[in-house]
Amino acid sequence: METVLKVENLSASYRKNTVLQHVNVNIDSGSLTAIVGPNGAGKSTFLKTILNLHPSLTGSVSYFGQPLSKVKKQVGYVPQRGSVDWDFPTDALDVVTMGLYGQIGFLRRPKRSHREKALAALEKVGMSDYANRQISQLSGGQQQRVFLARALVQDAELYFMDEPLAGVDAATERAIMSILKELKQLGRTVLVVHHDLQTVQDYFDHVLLLNKTVIKHGRTEKVFTNENIISTYGGNIQLLKEGQGHVVHTLH
Amino acid sequence: MFKKRGMLLSGLVATILFIGGCNNETSTNEEEGAIQVVTTISQIGEPLSVIGGDRVKVESLMGPSVDPHLYNATQGDISTIEGADLIFYNGLDLEANMVEIFESISKNKPVLAIGETLSEDKLLEEEPGVVDPHIWFDIDLWKLALEAAVEELKKYSPEDSDYFNDNMESYFAELDALNEEAQEQISQIPEKHRVLVTAHDAFGYFGNKFSMEVIGLQGLSTEDEIGVSDINDTIAIIKEFEIPAIFVESSIDSRTINSVIEGAKSDGIDVELGGELFSDAMGNPGTEKGTYIGMYRHNVETIYNALK
Amino acid sequence: MWSILSTSNTQWVLFSATILGIAAGIVGCLSYWKKQSLMSDALAHAALPGVVITFLIIGEKNLFFLIIGAAISALLGAFFIQWVQSSTRITEDTAMGMTLSVFFGLGIMLLTVVNRTAGGNQSGLDSFIFGQAAAMVRSDVNTMLALAFFVILIVIAGFKEWKLYLFDPSFAKGLGLSLSLMNVLYTTVLVTTIVIGIQAVGVILIAALLIIPSVSARYWTQKLKTMFLLSACFGGISGAIGTAISAIGRGWPTGPFIVVVAALFFIISLVFGKEKGILLKHLQFRKQQKAHSQEIGHHPVFQKEGK
Repeated sequence: METVLKVENLSASYRKNTVLQHVNVNIDSGSLTAIVGPNGAGKSTFLKTILNLHPSLTGSVSYFGQPLSKVKKQVGYVPQRGSVDWDFPTDALDVVTMGLYGQIGFLRRPKRSHREKALAALEKVGMSDYANRQISQLSGGQQQRVFLARALVQDAELYFMDEPLAGVDAATERAIMSILKELKQLGRTVLVVHHDLQTVQDYFDHVLLLNKTVIKHGRTEKVFTNENIISTYGGNIQLLKEGQGHVVHTLH
Repeated sequence: MFKKRGMLLSGLVATILFIGGCNNETSTNEEEGAIQVVTTISQIGEPLSVIGGDRVKVESLMGPSVDPHLYNATQGDISTIEGADLIFYNGLDLEANMVEIFESISKNKPVLAIGETLSEDKLLEEEPGVVDPHIWFDIDLWKLALEAAVEELKKYSPEDSDYFNDNMESYFAELDALNEEAQEQISQIPEKHRVLVTAHDAFGYFGNKFSMEVIGLQGLSTEDEIGVSDINDTIAIIKEFEIPAIFVESSIDSRTINSVIEGAKSDGIDVELGGELFSDAMGNPGTEKGTYIGMYRHNVETIYNALK
Repeated sequence: MWSILSTSNTQWVLFSATILGIAAGIVGCLSYWKKQSLMSDALAHAALPGVVITFLIIGEKNLFFLIIGAAISALLGAFFIQWVQSSTRITEDTAMGMTLSVFFGLGIMLLTVVNRTAGGNQSGLDSFIFGQAAAMVRSDVNTMLALAFFVILIVIAGFKEWKLYLFDPSFAKGLGLSLSLMNVLYTTVLVTTIVIGIQAVGVILIAALLIIPSVSARYWTQKLKTMFLLSACFGGISGAIGTAISAIGRGWPTGPFIVVVAALFFIISLVFGKEKGILLKHLQFRKQQKAHSQEIGHHPVFQKEGK
């Protein structure tokens, strides 16, 4: 098992609060990892920081043994849906094509082959009928799928996703998860900030319990225990069915 | 980092204010017992300093190239005004932003709008209801206005009446000579060239006096913004009257007149820049052009040379 | 009447205003999608003290240096806005309002000082505020052409990069697009347009040309490229028609008319615009209302039915 992502002693702040400290984690290739933790635990910040989208205070991050800048093409990112203005005048195909801008090159225009790749990605997420639909007219789930397609079109080795299943319909959830499973079968690595404790065991073979620092990380069956969950959430949860590992996160 | 930048900025501002303020400092060597007279434009101040001689100390708030239509008094000006014995201004809405100040000061001190002492029939009305304030270009009217100011001086210091009267007489004699001189020169300009085109309507009384057609690009007050039609109209008139030259003014941005000249040339109409005239302000104090007579003479000569 | 439109001055003003309108319309779209439309106004106002201070330093009206001074001042304003936002809890629009007032106030104060010194009024620094659109001459046409060329080049060459940068900057960064480069380009293009604009038409008008055409264009299209084109058109046409009207009228100031025409475009777009125009929205709503009430009428629940 090779380590595709090595995070050492990472810390970061957000608006004068330290939201991450002493974060150490190694992600193995081919894993499908859920990052879970309470609100404000730094999950999104963690993702952004290791992607150099947010400044780190300390620590180092290496991808396949190298800094991110050298392996940008191997990394795909699906940000939170709320991070953009969906009123922007563009269509689904256009957004997916943006994923190829790195390949198309500066000052060059997309060619037919690029458009076809983008269309194929849309097809993969079940959105090819919506290729020319304005993104403002898409539902939450459809928008999420467009974002996913945009990442897929990059054909990366390592994918990061920020709450891709939040607020999506069941069909979209199924579609997304089946794609993630497929990626895993292809030997790719996926890290997902996940919002729903209920589905961690069903979907992810690894889990990273994060609350400002790593509480526990490892294979889901080993690490996703009630005890670990309680330490991560600081006692703000209620276990519904003891012993069956189903937990419910109370509204805080 | 802001602290540093902020300090730098405030330091810069303070320095600039200080320099600016320094320019307005008057010499504090007050002649013992001299009457402190404060005026707005130097066209009032300079003649009064001649007539008042060493019995008065005159200070004019608006120096060379200052535009009285737009001028706003500063705290420094207000203290200067408050320290005066007599205050004179043109009135007729020339010093548009200072009217309230004068009205409130007039409760405590003698303040006179010398232009407003003239009877209405002598004044020109550019547009209905709007009086042209640039009366100093008609020497006869200006003599009347200055006389009104001197009356105030005499009232304030009756023991100097004779002194003032003598000075006024000799000064007015010079003015009369100037008047004749101007009349003669201007009449030598061929009639069809007797059109005076300037940046704004400051020369109404001048034109009226010397039978010259007067056209200002900007209207009576420099507060107005011109339109393309103003420029086109001016060029049309230049073309129609075959005017050889037009003039910029010392207190106004020359850009508008220059665009008239450039536009006219581009349309094949030959017109030159006749020179710079003093309209609302005079030249530097202490120079020939800093005196009313010198300023007037300069204007007449410039106009004559350009249009003859 | 038409001969009025063919005089050299009218043509110079016409072309300058039109080209400036086109350039401002394009740059305005960038600001619109950066959600920083008010920034153009703030920066235009922030440029004033730079102009005056430069004049005080060099002592004469050298347009080249005055423009540089304006640019520096505007950039300082931009930094100030950024700094206030990042170091305090103040929001962006408040920061912009503050900067606008402080810088502009400083500029006015300095202008008062300048206007009391010899040569002050002659420098025409006042015209940086309201502009003297009518006094534009051939050299202004050339300047505007250069500006427009510069703007169009930068926007067209990297159009897809702009699209990405405006839509999803984080993703852009992830792909390797240098956000700092884009920010610098954006600021450069914006400040250049502003300072070249204000020396000709003043602070008020340049802000209007930067904001109104792009907002108006939004009401007509759902395609980004079309929005840029429309915005350029609206800006250019406002310049042209505003100039034409002021040329035909008697003593009508040019600058204000350009703003009025632009505003008219906006109102027409607001009401009749194909996308989200008020009229269309209203008509659509009525149509839906009608369809809906017919539907309800036929809904089984409302049918009289013996149970």
